[in-house]
This record gives sequence, structure tokens and C-alpha cells, in this order.
Amino acid sequence: MSKVRKYSFYSVLIFYSILTIVPFLWSLSTSFKPSDEVYQSNLIPDQPTMKAYATVFGKIQPNFQTLFANSLFIACGVVILHLIFAALAGYAFARLRFPGRDVLFFVVLGCMMIPDQLRLVPMYQLLVKMGLINTGPSNYLAIFLIKAISAADVFLMRQYFLTMPKEMEDAAKIDGAGPFQLFTRVMLPNAAPVLATVAILTFQGTWNDLFWPSIVLQSPSHWTLPFGILQFKGQFSTDWPPIMALVVLSTVPILALYTFGQRYIINVQLASSAKG
Amino acid sequence: MTSTSHRTSRLGRKRSESLVAYGFISIPMALFLFLSVGIFIYAVYISTFDWGIMGPTKNIGLDNYRKAFSDPIFLKAIRNSVKYALLVVPIQSAIGLYLALLVNSKIKGSKFFRSAFYFPSIASSAAITTLFIFLMAPDGVFNGVLRFFGVDTPNLFNQGAWLSDSRTALYSIIGLNAWTTSGTMMLFYLANLQTVDSQFAEAAVMDGATRRQVFWHITMPLLKPAHLFVVATGMIGALQLYDQAILAGGADGSPDYSLMTVVLYIYNACFRKFEFGYASAIGVILFVIIFSLTVLQKSFFGSAAWKGDN
Repeated sequence: MSKVRKYSFYSVLIFYSILTIVPFLWSLSTSFKPSDEVYQSNLIPDQPTMKAYATVFGKIQPNFQTLFANSLFIACGVVILHLIFAALAGYAFARLRFPGRDVLFFVVLGCMMIPDQLRLVPMYQLLVKMGLINTGPSNYLAIFLIKAISAADVFLMRQYFLTMPKEMEDAAKIDGAGPFQLFTRVMLPNAAPVLATVAILTFQGTWNDLFWPSIVLQSPSHWTLPFGILQFKGQFSTDWPPIMALVVLSTVPILALYTFGQRYIINVQLASSAKG
Repeated sequence: MTSTSHRTSRLGRKRSESLVAYGFISIPMALFLFLSVGIFIYAVYISTFDWGIMGPTKNIGLDNYRKAFSDPIFLKAIRNSVKYALLVVPIQSAIGLYLALLVNSKIKGSKFFRSAFYFPSIASSAAITTLFIFLMAPDGVFNGVLRFFGVDTPNLFNQGAWLSDSRTALYSIIGLNAWTTSGTMMLFYLANLQTVDSQFAEAAVMDGATRRQVFWHITMPLLKPAHLFVVATGMIGALQLYDQAILAGGADGSPDYSLMTVVLYIYNACFRKFEFGYASAIGVILFVIIFSLTVLQKSFFGSAAWKGDN
């Protein structure tokens, strides 16, 4: 590479990094600013204050702890559901032979094409009939039911099980293992990479989701972080530091998960990207 | 072991394998049939009714669909969503491809840059959009940068109010999402680039091809699977625009319906006007549009092995 080329190359890289990172530094900076400094162009606050954090941890209703607990509870629950159902179905579609397999798998592929927005009205009607649109704890069940299974994850899991070598199975079969033992003793332990991928991507998608929580969750004590941000943005229209504190606090866990989990995510994001 | 008993034991094994398989898929398939297939049929059914807050009153056939296409706000929503999709998809794909090519070359710190470029894609749309609204405010950072370069923002045609002027609101959201989504598109292109054999490009360089020729005649055609994928998923995602619109423009897609999208329109029909039959019809229309695009993506499913690569 010539020197000029190299410099222009790096200046593009650095320029775009600034474009992606500085806005987040700005939200961090604003969350520590007193109200009168908000629109000043200093990145380091002149008089840093924790007032905004005191507000989101204490004064707002529901407070940050509640929003965080709801987001965590819902995301973890959905991760567990997706892991169980995607592993079961993915294994059966990839490694077992049974009448009707191809037709059923075609149904699964078809489910990937149904957008959430089409499900909105009938799902809502159904949840009302089931009595899950309420302010009590069973309201959480509505979210778990909506998000119980993901066709993209079943597809992903199947693709992974398909690539496993036949020899592994044969060895266990000679030892007399049936299909169920094969699944629990051979397949699952060797599927850690794809299980981790499904878990991380599902967690991220559910943690960040605004659409379903904003429609289903009835009581403020059930709100998730994105829904809370939407609500408080209206309430605090001009008081930016607390809103920015919420933005920062809601992004840190997902950033930590990504930084920690990045190396476990196998290159199958393509298949799962269709999910919300 | 005689051959007959061998055969029966194999048959038995086959039957038990089927039984185990049905055991494995029974709950997942029941959920799919209930939560997707059943719900889909129910949506079409609801869409043929005059269905208000008190429940269905009468079957009105296709009247809900007719009504949609005579409502100027719905037509505006369709125009906004399509305009948004047609602009944001090429922009985010092109930036994604460019970033992928940059970080795929042998450079110092490519891992850092990759993470930095992907960074906006991992935060929630609620957090990012809220931050964006703050940065784009008349007194915000974006106008500050413009002023630094000598632009007199208070006297601009929109007074520097990018998100509250109907002429610039949608374009601002296009800018926002091109910025947040291009990191994801970069990853898809990178995945494809890593499966591309560099010997084609090297051979072409040996034969005296220029960089530009290598790019247009070798790299671009080899990235066809990624192009298809990035454009198809990009279009599907773009037509479902909701979060950014409701955060920046409220439920009305303000100002002046400039941020009214098809999904926001469904939301309004459902939860503000309680016209469930009508809202369901709009959902079906959206599905038809997205389904047509997914059929175009079918060729991608044909090469599914590529996306399962480690």
C-alpha cells in the first residue's frame, strides 16, 4: 500500500468510528450534566452531577430497577423457551426420519414469513379473550406466549445439527443409545456454539424490543426499558439528563453481553437476522 | 440373527424413531400452528368484519380493503414506508459493503474497527432514537457541527428543526437507520467475503486488471448471495418501520403525517380507533407486500448451506 493510500484508508476508518462512537459518548456526557449545560458543546461536563442517576434510580415511577428487572425477566424467559423448542425441533428435523417431516418443515419456513404486525390484531384479540391483558402478574404470560417460539431459531438449530458428523451418532448407537439418549448425550453437548448464538441473539432481540411490550404490558410496574424510555421521553420532554441516563443504563448490559459473547456467536447471523 | 427378525427389529427401530421425533416436535409444532398459522387465518377472518370494541358486528367482505385505499392517510403511510425503504436499503447496503471491504483488508486494528462499526446496531431502537432526537434538536450537536462549518442553522429553510419539519423528518430517520443498520449489513457482507476465494482476484491482478475492474467484475458478482440477502432483509425490515417513527413523531407520525408508516397506521387503527377489522386488513396488505419480497428472496434459501458456515 502506498503511503497516501494508507493514510486515506485510515482516515476513513477513524472518521467512521467517530461517527459511531461519539454519539454514545455524548449521551454518557449529557447524563452527567446539570440541566443548564445540556446544550453546551463540551464533552466533559463543567460541573458533573449524579442528579440524573438519582432521578432514574429513585424519583421516577417505575424506577430504573423495576424496568431493568422486567427487561431481564422477560428476556431470560424468552431465551429459555427459544432454546428448548429450537433444540427439540431442530434436532428432529435434522437427524430423525419420520413421515411428514418435509411438509412440517415447510410449515416452519412459512412461519418465518408472517410479520409480527399481521399477528398484532388477532393476537391481541386472543389475549383479551384469554384474560391476559390485565395489570396483574399474568400479563407477563402474554409476552411469553407471543414470543414462545421462533422459526428462525429452529431453522438455525437444524442447520447446525445437519453439519454434525454421522460418525458421532454411530458410535453412540453401537453402544445402544436410542434417539433420546443421542439427543441429550451426544447432540446437545456438541451444540454449544449454536445454543450460545441463539441465546445471545434472542436476548438482544427481546431486550431491545419495543413493539410487543408497548402493546401488551398494561401496568407501569411491568414496563421494560425501551417502553420506559418511550414513556419518559414524553414526560421529561426538555429534561434530557435523566433520559440520557436511561439510554446509557439500558445500553450497558447489551454492550457487555455483546463484548463478552461476540466470540461465541457463530457465523449464522444471516439466518436469524430476520427476527425483530 | 435370522433375516426376518433383523428386519422386524429395523422396522421397530424406525417406528420408535418416528415416535421420538413426533414427541420432540409436538410442542413446537403445536405452537407454530397456534401462534402463526392459526393467528394468520384468524387475521384474514377478522379483516372481513366490521369489528369494533364491542366485537364483530357484521361480515363486510372486502370493504375494509376498499376503505384502506380510499383513505389519504393510509396512502400517505404507504408512500412514506415505500419511500423510506427505497432510500434506506441502497444506502445501508452500500455503506455496509464499503465498511466490510475496509475491515476485511489486512490492516492493524481491524477487529477494533469492526466492533466500532457494529456498535450502533446493538443498542435498542428506543435508546438510539431518543439519543438521535437529542442530537438533532435545534440547539443540538448536529446543528452545532453545521454552525462550526459556517452553516447559519437558525436561518435554514427548516430553522434547523430537522425532525419537526415535515420536509426533513423522514429523511432524518433514513439517516438514522442507515447509520444504525449498516453495521449489521457489514457483518453479512463480511460473512460472504470470508467464503470468497481470493485467488480469482489475485489471478486478475496478475493479468493486469485494475482495482476498479477487480471490484466490479470479480468481487461484486461473487458477493451475489450477500447482495440478495442484504437487500431482501433490508426491505422487509424497512417496511416494518415503527419504533423510530413513534418515538420521533408520536402516534400521529408528526409533523403533518410525515412519519406515518404502515405499521404506525395499523397501531392507530387498532388502539386509538378500535377498528380491529380494518387494522387487520392493513396487516394483511403489509403481509402481501412482504411475502412478495420474500418470494424474491427464495433463491437465497436455495443456497442455505452458505449461511450455516462456521
